[in-house]
Amino acid sequence: MTAHDWFTEHSAEFAARTLDPADEATFQAHLERCEECRREVERIDRELAWLPLGAPPVTPRPGLRRRIAEYALGTPTPRWTRWAIPIGAAAGLLLAAAGWYAGDRRAASLAGEVALSRHRLAAIEDTLSVMRQAARVLQARIDMDGKQGGLVIFADAKTHRWNVVMHGLPPAPNGRYQFWFICADGMVRGAEVQGDLSRPVMFTTGMPSRGGKVLGAALTLEPMDAKDGPPRGKQLAHLML
Amino acid sequence: MPGEGRGPSLSMSAREEGLRNRIAARDEQALVELVDLATPWLLGVAHAMLHDVDEAEEVVMEAFRTIWISVTPATAESRGLLPYLLRVTRHRAIDRLRSRQRHRRHLALLTPHEIERSTVAPVEPNEAAQPGWQLHAQVHAALKDLSDEQRAAVQLAYFEGLTQSEIANTLGIPLGTVKTRLRLAFGHLRLALAHVKDWVL
Repeated sequence: MTAHDWFTEHSAEFAARTLDPADEATFQAHLERCEECRREVERIDRELAWLPLGAPPVTPRPGLRRRIAEYALGTPTPRWTRWAIPIGAAAGLLLAAAGWYAGDRRAASLAGEVALSRHRLAAIEDTLSVMRQAARVLQARIDMDGKQGGLVIFADAKTHRWNVVMHGLPPAPNGRYQFWFICADGMVRGAEVQGDLSRPVMFTTGMPSRGGKVLGAALTLEPMDAKDGPPRGKQLAHLML
Repeated sequence: MPGEGRGPSLSMSAREEGLRNRIAARDEQALVELVDLATPWLLGVAHAMLHDVDEAEEVVMEAFRTIWISVTPATAESRGLLPYLLRVTRHRAIDRLRSRQRHRRHLALLTPHEIERSTVAPVEPNEAAQPGWQLHAQVHAALKDLSDEQRAAVQLAYFEGLTQSEIANTLGIPLGTVKTRLRLAFGHLRLALAHVKDWVL
């Protein structure tokens, strides 16, 4: 057995990172000068590439996707959000402390409320960040059934997400409101909204994964059975970026 | 989100290819789309290994930063985004595991049943619409085909980040036996997952 045979024999263990640290360092140093072993490790890496997907997915906490995008892009987190998290944590601690004094059962209840409050705080931070960072605000007035309402879009150029606000609209008669992205390749469905919009409704949305470049947005009144395909109903608003 | 109900077959591959080229061209929106697509899976990998939500999130953030920095037009043709992200995430998680002692205490508390259960969690049908779930099920099927002993060794090596010596200590078996089990298991998995290779862009 030659010295090189040892590396050949252990290439799978190196790729899977099961070698002990000293052996791993030895192998790593060998790779720097051995093209054959480097190719073999790359081949094994490719063959086992999907194996980590054996772990079940975990739903990200509210706001995490935004933080990931900002971190990856090297965008500094706004100062107010850096303070908001410690303040939220401090508020949580105060609540938890109060719960401790009130007894175990009360503490357990408050801990649940704290967790819920933290999630809500994170969600609000996420929503507000999109509005604060909005590079463009688009607005359309909608007159319908004697009511004056509108559609407002806060477009965040950094995270490429929109906060969309719909307000002052009557309940959709025999249908529902459908938000659309106007894309280079055609109209792509966004969120659908039902019910009374006399109180403002707001949602945050990412860009569609198909349809090409987003050029604008539209709002239509769609029949209840129109679940796919192009718009069929009356167009209420049409906004171009 | 439009298109999320589709399976991960060629449509996912094509989407990933489009994202890869756009990321190489420094398209920030493409990175945001990739974050939406891949984060649950990367968090799953990191969390399974680290058992700590905050650390898992940090690892995933570092993985995305790595890919944003390293994917260029010159490298875009040779790397699949998702496999690359999975690999970076797993390696970062292992680095963290090996730098802390808490992991040892966690492993000391693992029973053989828990080792078995952690990789072979049942596939939840209500999650089947999530992009990538079909692939997750295929990996599970390949893991289920292993013997119980091989699967436990893979679990500890691949999803807990243990070295062969640590696995031998954890399972109380000779180092040579661990090497044999892992070698056989990885050989089987490489064959079983070979048809997935076409999706590695």
